[in-house]
Amino acid sequence: MGSMGRKKGEKIKNLLIFALPGCATFCAVVMIPFLYGFYLTLTDWDGVSKVKNVVGANNYLAVFQDAQFWSSMGLTLKYVFFSVILVNLLAFLLAYILTNGLKGQNFFRTGFFTPNLIGGVVLGFIWQFVFSRVLVNVGEATGWGIFSSSWLSDPGKAFWSLVIVTVWQLSGYMMLIYIAGFTTLSTDVLEAASIDGATGLQKMKSVMIPLMVPSFVICMFLTLSRAFMVYDVNLTLTGGEPYGTTRLVAMHVYEKAFTSRNYGVGQAEALFLFLIVACISGLQIYFGKRKEVEA
Amino acid sequence: MKFKKVIAIIAVASMIMGMTAGCGSNDASQATDAAPAEKTEEAVQDVATEEEQTATEAETTGEATTDLAGTEISFLNSKGEIQAALEEMAVTFEEETGISVEIIACGAGESPYTKITSAYNSGTAPTMAMLDTTDVVALAKEYALDLSSEKWVSECEGQVTKIDDKVYSFPFCVEGRGLIYNKAAIEETLGTTFDPTSINSYDSLKKLLEDLRAAGMESPVVISKEDWSLAAHQLGFIYDTYDGTTAGSSELIAKLKDGSQKVEDYERFNQFITTLDLLLEYNINGEDPLGALYEQDPIFLADGDAAIWANGCWAWPNIAEAGATAEDEYGFLPFVLGNDTSDFANNGIQASASKQVMIDAVQATDVQREAAKAFLNWIVYEDSGQKMLVETAAIIPACSNNAYAALDPLGKDIQSRLESGKVFSSSFIAPSDHWSVLGASMQKYIAGETDKAGLATEIDAYWTAQK
Amino acid sequence: MEKSKKVGGVKRFFLEGAALIMTAFLFIIYMVPFALILLNSFKMKRDIITNPFSFYAKKGYSLENYIKAFEKMDFIKAFGNSLMVTGLSTIAVIILAAMVAYYFTRSKNLFSTIMFSLMAASMIIPFQAIMIPLVSIYGAGLHALNSRFTLIFMHTGFAMSMSVFIYHGFIKSNIPISLEEAACIDGCTKTQTFFRVVFPLLKPTTTTLVILNVLAFWNDYLLPSLVLGRKQIFTLPLSTYAFYGTYSADYGVIMAALVMIVAPVLILYLFLQKQIISGVIAGAVKS
Repeated sequence: MGSMGRKKGEKIKNLLIFALPGCATFCAVVMIPFLYGFYLTLTDWDGVSKVKNVVGANNYLAVFQDAQFWSSMGLTLKYVFFSVILVNLLAFLLAYILTNGLKGQNFFRTGFFTPNLIGGVVLGFIWQFVFSRVLVNVGEATGWGIFSSSWLSDPGKAFWSLVIVTVWQLSGYMMLIYIAGFTTLSTDVLEAASIDGATGLQKMKSVMIPLMVPSFVICMFLTLSRAFMVYDVNLTLTGGEPYGTTRLVAMHVYEKAFTSRNYGVGQAEALFLFLIVACISGLQIYFGKRKEVEA
Repeated sequence: MKFKKVIAIIAVASMIMGMTAGCGSNDASQATDAAPAEKTEEAVQDVATEEEQTATEAETTGEATTDLAGTEISFLNSKGEIQAALEEMAVTFEEETGISVEIIACGAGESPYTKITSAYNSGTAPTMAMLDTTDVVALAKEYALDLSSEKWVSECEGQVTKIDDKVYSFPFCVEGRGLIYNKAAIEETLGTTFDPTSINSYDSLKKLLEDLRAAGMESPVVISKEDWSLAAHQLGFIYDTYDGTTAGSSELIAKLKDGSQKVEDYERFNQFITTLDLLLEYNINGEDPLGALYEQDPIFLADGDAAIWANGCWAWPNIAEAGATAEDEYGFLPFVLGNDTSDFANNGIQASASKQVMIDAVQATDVQREAAKAFLNWIVYEDSGQKMLVETAAIIPACSNNAYAALDPLGKDIQSRLESGKVFSSSFIAPSDHWSVLGASMQKYIAGETDKAGLATEIDAYWTAQK
Repeated sequence: MEKSKKVGGVKRFFLEGAALIMTAFLFIIYMVPFALILLNSFKMKRDIITNPFSFYAKKGYSLENYIKAFEKMDFIKAFGNSLMVTGLSTIAVIILAAMVAYYFTRSKNLFSTIMFSLMAASMIIPFQAIMIPLVSIYGAGLHALNSRFTLIFMHTGFAMSMSVFIYHGFIKSNIPISLEEAACIDGCTKTQTFFRVVFPLLKPTTTTLVILNVLAFWNDYLLPSLVLGRKQIFTLPLSTYAFYGTYSADYGVIMAALVMIVAPVLILYLFLQKQIISGVIAGAVKS
């Protein structure tokens, strides 16, 4: 009896000490504004007026009529698909190479990490120059048709420019997480595998990859959410151009809320975006966990 | 052990913060529009600890006295390029009056409207806000102070914007746009003197461009690909030239909205496309019009690789950075429409008040409002204010009593046109997404992805979809 | 993993050579933009625009951009603000997140499950969707804006979910519960077990998270711009606002400012690299 009570007290004490401070901060900053934001989608508020009337689901109906939203959602899905695959492939490879005792690996790691430090207008300026000037010069020198005109003026190539810059920016970030994964892998396991005569590739396939599943789950999830939310790169590199063909969904939502001044609709679209990403990453985590159990 | 103590403190602190935030936000979610509840204010003063007092606290300390010295006000600036100049002006103003003005900048990629929206939501609205006309129209009735009885209203006659016959904003500057020319580049290429007034019809512009090409300047025109330039500034001419007045352009827009006017049947649109086609034919970015870079465009003009750039007086800092000096001869040609040489659109350029300063009527105190009015009066009437506006900030004043002459050639051109009446001062009040939506349509057109009929359809569709 | 290279002499040599060449090639591509920024930060604007890739600068190289950036940003003051905000936010996030993650992995109950799912889900909330509600609540509702502590508090809250998520993954797969049980036989409380046994073992993850969080806080623009309204408390990225015009930006000065802002993070990163490596040893101890 007494020990039961003490156990319960202990549990509550643990909850208070360990979980509460972090969870309370999180709720105060993220969840409460989010719920308040949800309430705003049920009103006709324009973002600044003192008057707001509850209009029910009107804003959600408007989302379905906003063809632009769905077309930019389609484009975003395509963008996310390629970004997630390329970022993770590259990040994993880099992390593998750079935890294998390559000469100057610290130096390399720092280098791959630097793209994360460059953001905003400068990022846009530098890459605009690469895509619209440097590549065109290369095209003139070599006669390669693919570089004959600016990548940013062609809808298809402008899309790939976005993917390239995203891979450049995010792979170093994900590399860090994979490196953390590799370094916490027990060295013994790998040594044992080597002694058993496993070659590099076998070792990779049968020992490392299964053990790296948690890192995969985390990185996939982070890349997914980053790619769905991408705004900075979109704004500064293409600005949605040429003629609105590279406007990804976060940018559309932002413009809907602030440029077109349909705050309620923009907010409702943000919630749709949230639900879609939640479904996709939920599935991804679910399958990731299953793999983890199997391993 | 020490480490543990620190952790405990942090944990406790964050718990308190979490809790106060949690209970306060219930009120907040309903009370954003009402005055804030007092009890939350108390709670926060504990949390925000000894941090500098917030703007609202400063307000309550300022008692209602007639002496404005010591008052602190703020000014939201949406013209990034004059941030430093405005800060200098604020220093001088404070020296003269004792009123301190903090100049708040809009960050990179942050739209002024978003900034003012979040400021009103957070209860930290600036005392004065410099905004585009459409933003002022959106905010005026709820948040702006009625300035109809200010003395400068008569001084700035013709440039003030009226909403339901009331003045809610001060016209901060006049901006004009047309076809910027580089006189030296034209004269060197042609070997003759160039008289800008000779360009007053489509044919005369066509002849000039043909001559320039024949004399070796292969592509004399620069067309920037930015959507705001294409939609708000170039396409905007079709509204502005309806009859040259704001009332006229509103009339046209009303007709476009209810569908009684189709843009393809509108003469100005047809003239506009004809001129645009001509300019595109000679565009230096011609092979890949959407591959243009805004930073590169003024360099073409300043270096004399091209002689004409479709843009406005705000482009001067860019041209200067590209190597031009204030002594060089630059100026505006009209964006010619058709061949009627007596047409106002072919003899003048569009120039109107483009930035409006409104004073907050909701969150500022009476003293702050008076101080804000004093700042506007200082700009309009005091010699030092007038001088700094023109010479430090390089602004073309909207009020006619300011006699200081602009320092740069584009400003000078507009000033002399204002005096001689060679301007039309209509400013069309476009919906806020006009430039982004129709900017995309215009980009399609200049890239050859759509034709005139396709562009017209998109313009019609845009307007009829407006409420 | 230095110890593991012993099998397959010649083949190994070639594989390593290939890896080195490939890495070096990628490295150069990755570094080009950064090198450009460094190069152009010494050039005048006109030279930057006409050809940012050229080493030749008509107007020559100078430190002018750096001097201008340093003065206009009020660098020392802004640096202090950034340091304080980033430092305190990072410490708070790391400690709180590690504790929360530890609780979630070890105490399986309804509270953990719900909170963990909420946190995971919250990572995909677009910031724009909570921006306006956030300022309404903390500004108009609580009058807590214009304070560095509010910013620290918000940073902590926003960064919580990702840090918890990453810690959670690593605690679950890499910290054997047997270790804690062993510690508890010696009569440790849960708090002691955590700080003496678990937290030190998390070092590689902690180091990674320190880098990721420092990076995010140090460079953040949007949130500070909403919270900090006054110049005296501006962080470094905010204080570069003066270099951006409506139609043009002062690229030379912006790049110089960027170099100065980024340098401390790079130095920190190089320093922490060693910690990540030594984490291997810590990892080996556990078994």
